[in-house]
Amino acid sequence: MTLNVEANPYAPQVACLSRVIAETPTIKTFCFDLDEPLAFRAGQFVQLGVPGLGEGPFTPSSSPLTPEHLEVTVLRTGEVTERLHRMQAGDACLLRGPYGKGFPVEKLEGKDVLVVGGGVGLAPLRALIYQLLSMTDRLGRVVIKNGARETAELLFRRQYDEWASHKNVSMEITIDKAEPGWTGNVGVVTTILENVPNEVDVRNCYAFTCGPEIMLKFATQKLLEKGLTAEQIYLSMNRRMSCGIGKCGRCNIGPYYLCKDGPDICYAKIKDYPNVFP
Amino acid sequence: MRSIYVSTEEGLAHLLGAVQADEVYAAVRRERGPEYCNLRARPEAEPALREPRPSASPKAFLQPATERVAVYSATGVDAERSCPACGRRALVGLRACDLVAIEYLDKVFRGGDVADPFYEARRTSELLISVDCVAVHENCFCTAVGGRPFAESGFDLNITPLEEGYLVEVGSERGQEVIDRAGDAVCPATDEDLRRRDARREASLEQLRQQTGDWRVSDRIQEALLAKDEAKAWGEEAAKCVECAACTFICPTCHCFYLYDQVGGGEEFERVRTWDSCILGDYHRMAGPAGAKPSPRPGLRTRFANRMLHKYAFSPMQYGLLGCTGCGRCIEACYGQIDIRDVLRGFEE
Ligand SMILES: Cc1cc2nc3c(=O)[nH]c(=O)nc-3n(C[C@H](O)[C@H](O)[C@H](O)COP(=O)(O)OP(=O)(O)OC[C@H]3O[C@@H](n4cnc5c(N)ncnc54)[C@H](O)[C@@H]3O)c2cc1C
Ligand code: SF4
Ligand code: FES
Repeated sequence: MTLNVEANPYAPQVACLSRVIAETPTIKTFCFDLDEPLAFRAGQFVQLGVPGLGEGPFTPSSSPLTPEHLEVTVLRTGEVTERLHRMQAGDACLLRGPYGKGFPVEKLEGKDVLVVGGGVGLAPLRALIYQLLSMTDRLGRVVIKNGARETAELLFRRQYDEWASHKNVSMEITIDKAEPGWTGNVGVVTTILENVPNEVDVRNCYAFTCGPEIMLKFATQKLLEKGLTAEQIYLSMNRRMSCGIGKCGRCNIGPYYLCKDGPDICYAKIKDYPNVFP
Repeated sequence: MRSIYVSTEEGLAHLLGAVQADEVYAAVRRERGPEYCNLRARPEAEPALREPRPSASPKAFLQPATERVAVYSATGVDAERSCPACGRRALVGLRACDLVAIEYLDKVFRGGDVADPFYEARRTSELLISVDCVAVHENCFCTAVGGRPFAESGFDLNITPLEEGYLVEVGSERGQEVIDRAGDAVCPATDEDLRRRDARREASLEQLRQQTGDWRVSDRIQEALLAKDEAKAWGEEAAKCVECAACTFICPTCHCFYLYDQVGGGEEFERVRTWDSCILGDYHRMAGPAGAKPSPRPGLRTRFANRMLHKYAFSPMQYGLLGCTGCGRCIEACYGQIDIRDVLRGFEE
């Protein structure tokens, strides 16, 4: 189902929360069991809102293969997200979408796939990961890299072992600062990209990254340094959004509107325009 | 062959009276210059068809400054009250540049994967009656951006004010219906009338030649704008800008908006759309903790650059049209006395 889009693209659907999962001290997952499934492609986003307060763009973190069960994972960071974090099962939310193009999954047959997440950036990427796990027989290697400030902020940590147990799938984690009991890598996400040329065939792979702007910037630089081309790098870009359908004007990079032409966009398309990164 | 008619001064008043619409908005004569008003509510008002274009653009009739786009409660959307509604309306005295702006807005709001039903409703119920500019505003530079001071398409009816009387050209079936209802208020134009029209049009072109010379915004502008290093450049223009956003609100093609929700009556909430502007700092600001909300365009110079880039570089890529019609309204609106012609000419050097 496409929510009200045909009739009125700005009118939200009211949907009640079926469950709220506390993921980390700052991140919660909001689950909806929808009467009519909201079919989306991994990477497409929805506008999720609070009645009377407003909405914001969020990319579902659940599997695109189970559209009747929608999950959105949200970092508490401002007005709308604060209010969402205070909501409970049964409370009414606003939903409209899906919007955007989504990840180009059809390009991935026979390719290695590198997934790079930072902080809540792993949320949109989880939808992609579910999709990739369902098609490992048609892919090369799948290498997942994820970073967080501290172990308490590692998102979906309970699932890492299961993901890495799939054939040809590996996962590496880093935290920004050392902690007692942590034996994994310490440092920002780019530090676990050093070995990329040994983990994927850099000439036959695609990289997908999502995270804070500053991480996207340095991860992109690192991947280019490691031999990937701009054509092989897809970024989940964050911009302020409102309409979601390429009309309100605010989410542009060059001539592209990220809500319509993204939010996941090939770096080659945008790299020569101003204000890509802070 | 298009149908072209002539009418006298009173004939034209009859013609406008024959328009079947609940509201007929026209720029009318006012002390401080032409302004839009509803002729059906103010029948004594005189349409300003021989004056230069009004300072306000007709954009607000196509996309109002604020508009409710949905009504909902915690149980669902009120479908009926979330639907677009527009009575029959006519816009009189649109200039050729206004029609170019409407062509542009059509691409934005009617085009793409999802059309905007509110814009669509207004567009389908509005009759467009344009008028040739027989007087050219001192800030006009339509000829520099590929325009002309008279329209050849995009209207239902187009009026050319002659020395005496008017020439009326039909551009659509709906326009022809108005002519048919007007009865003997109009009669077919003769070759002599057409020659007089050509002469009027040539005179307006000459007036524009005098104020803008041979200056043309060329394709080079795209490259020049993109090549300009915004970190260093744009400082001079941005220093004059006081960030009032008047330029974007007055602009006939600027269409940015923002959706916000508010409490309606009782248990209800409303979603409202309001004009917004890329010049304003909050427009691009993203989420984050208070005091640390990042923006991809934190400096006014980057926002000023983005406004120029969107008009002259990105719009042609997105819609095949410049985002500037040469109406020059932003020039008289600007509190910082920034003249967009000077900014553009700076690139041609
Ligand atoms: C495509 C996309 C996908 C995303 N996916 C996710 C995701 O999966 N998970 C996630 O956690 N985040 C995601 N984000 C980021 C998320 O959208 C923001 O964190 C969220 O919108 C923050 O909303 P807020 O109201 O809490 O923040 P705030 O900082 O309060 O507000 C957000 C923006 O709205 C403005 N604003 C707030 N209140 C007002 C007001 N009253 N009037 C005017 N302007 C106001 C602010 O200036 C700010 O720019 C995504 C962003 C994009 C673009
Ligand atoms: S009208 Fe002038 S001062 Fe106001 S925002 Fe535009 S450029 Fe700046
Ligand atoms: S969110 Fe409105 S144009 Fe992208």
